[in-house]
Amino acid sequence: MNLKELYQEIILEHGKNPRNLRKTEGFNKDAKGNNPLCGDNVHVYLKLNGQKIVEDASFEGSGCAISMASASIMTDLIKGKNEHEAKEIVEDFLGMIKENPELKSEHLSKDEKTKLMCLSGVKQYPMRVKCATLSWHTMVSAFDEKTEEVKTEN
Amino acid sequence: MNIDQIKKEFPIFDEKIQNNDLVYLDSANSSQKPKVVVDRINEFYTKQFSNVGRSVHYLAVAATNLYENTRTSVQKYINAKDKNEIVFTKGATEALNLVANTLGQSYLKEGDEVLITELEHHSNYVPWHFLRKSKNIKINFAEINEEGEITLEEIEKKITPKTRLISITHLSNVTGAILPVKEITQLAHSKGIIVVVDGCQGAPHLKLDMQELDCDFYAISCHKMYGPTGLGILYGKKKWLEELPPYQGGGGMINEVKKDRISYGELPNKYEAGTMATAQVIAFDQSIKFLESIGIENVMKHEADLVEYGQELLQRNNSVKLIGNPKNKGGVLSFTIEGVHPHDIATILDEDGVAIRAGHHCCQILHDKLNIPASARASVGIYNTKEDLDQLNQSINNCKKIFNL
Repeated sequence: MNLKELYQEIILEHGKNPRNLRKTEGFNKDAKGNNPLCGDNVHVYLKLNGQKIVEDASFEGSGCAISMASASIMTDLIKGKNEHEAKEIVEDFLGMIKENPELKSEHLSKDEKTKLMCLSGVKQYPMRVKCATLSWHTMVSAFDEKTEEVKTEN
Repeated sequence: MNIDQIKKEFPIFDEKIQNNDLVYLDSANSSQKPKVVVDRINEFYTKQFSNVGRSVHYLAVAATNLYENTRTSVQKYINAKDKNEIVFTKGATEALNLVANTLGQSYLKEGDEVLITELEHHSNYVPWHFLRKSKNIKINFAEINEEGEITLEEIEKKITPKTRLISITHLSNVTGAILPVKEITQLAHSKGIIVVVDGCQGAPHLKLDMQELDCDFYAISCHKMYGPTGLGILYGKKKWLEELPPYQGGGGMINEVKKDRISYGELPNKYEAGTMATAQVIAFDQSIKFLESIGIENVMKHEADLVEYGQELLQRNNSVKLIGNPKNKGGVLSFTIEGVHPHDIATILDEDGVAIRAGHHCCQILHDKLNIPASARASVGIYNTKEDLDQLNQSINNCKKIFNL
């Protein structure tokens, strides 16, 4: 176990200054997520254009450095992707956080993969995995227009 | 009192936790277990096991006697008037649910008001919420002051002519405030109001005297009292336990069962349906003996010293903000660090073998009031030392370093 691996500079930076921590104006999809164990919550907003491409993504909420950094990186890289691509990325990310050694999706650039791999350190902290995954599950829920709140399960 | 000697009685401190010595500061969540308690469970299962209160064979009679011995020990320890005022439950949560459920069945009526406080653990709120849903009772909240205390005056202010019950914590698991339970009870009784006390944090750390406190019900969590998990105790005044209906139906709690009628058993069997946590009850006798061997006054003195020391230490540490500053405070130090989420604090402290809790500690109402989503909490037990708190402080500094504070 290595704390340095978990709290890399990029995570601390995103955690401190999260990108897209706001409410997208004119959003057309959104969902709420909640981690009942610790009370963390997130609200993800998406604005899709006519071609179903994510024009803007944002989030509101509070949480630990891991969860804020994860939501920050997610909302950044999901812009410009369509729903199908976005969901494939989510699957890839969740697979990586749980067991896969690397990211496979062809919809992610090398730089995006590097950023996401910074979160791979949580693998060694099973209690913290849900911190990293809450916003991702919530984004899927927003795409699927589910009304009930997402509850994290590892 | 020699803390090093006491600490040696807890086998877990011989273990290395991720190559570190364990600095256990999570006793408000659950305490560690002395060897006598662990051994007693083993001995009972190995040499003496039988179910209790049913069969007449030798082992059954012996086990029943052991089980009832614990009841007597608890009665003496908390100075209850009658042995039958001690009911074993699966935990303090079940004890509080038992009270709310049975009072809801036969005592509280639509429109009645229950007064609780903003300090309450979810287990002393949700059971009353059930009655709000099913019986349309109203729940009022006594509010904390700036120090994180609930004063007698605040309780008095919140009592209305419709208040029929007050349910309060003895010691807050977040701010550490010790409530003036005796005075609140006097006031409540003068107005014909019942008092229920959530004693989860009170029982392990304070001197208990039910006849002096005079509350109507008192719920205890045994695993926070150096005892086994899966066991709680409900103290209830005999007149209430006799008057209220049973909580669960099943074997052991009945007197006579016919196709057209059932009569229930006498106390305490009436509230102990099914096979109980037998080994845990029998082992809990050792927890009581362990506490008695140290003396609760010594426990209180030691823990008060620790809290004072820890409080000063953390107050001097920049960017650490302590939650609550009650005059009468138990062994709980809840805090936040500006710029670091409590979960991150807990993970970083864990790396040094420092076990604390992070989150809302089952007190969302309180955290909402304080306008914080979560807090970090270090809580002490009889085995903690000032060195543990020094290590806590040092690990907090490490945490600040990682976050460039």
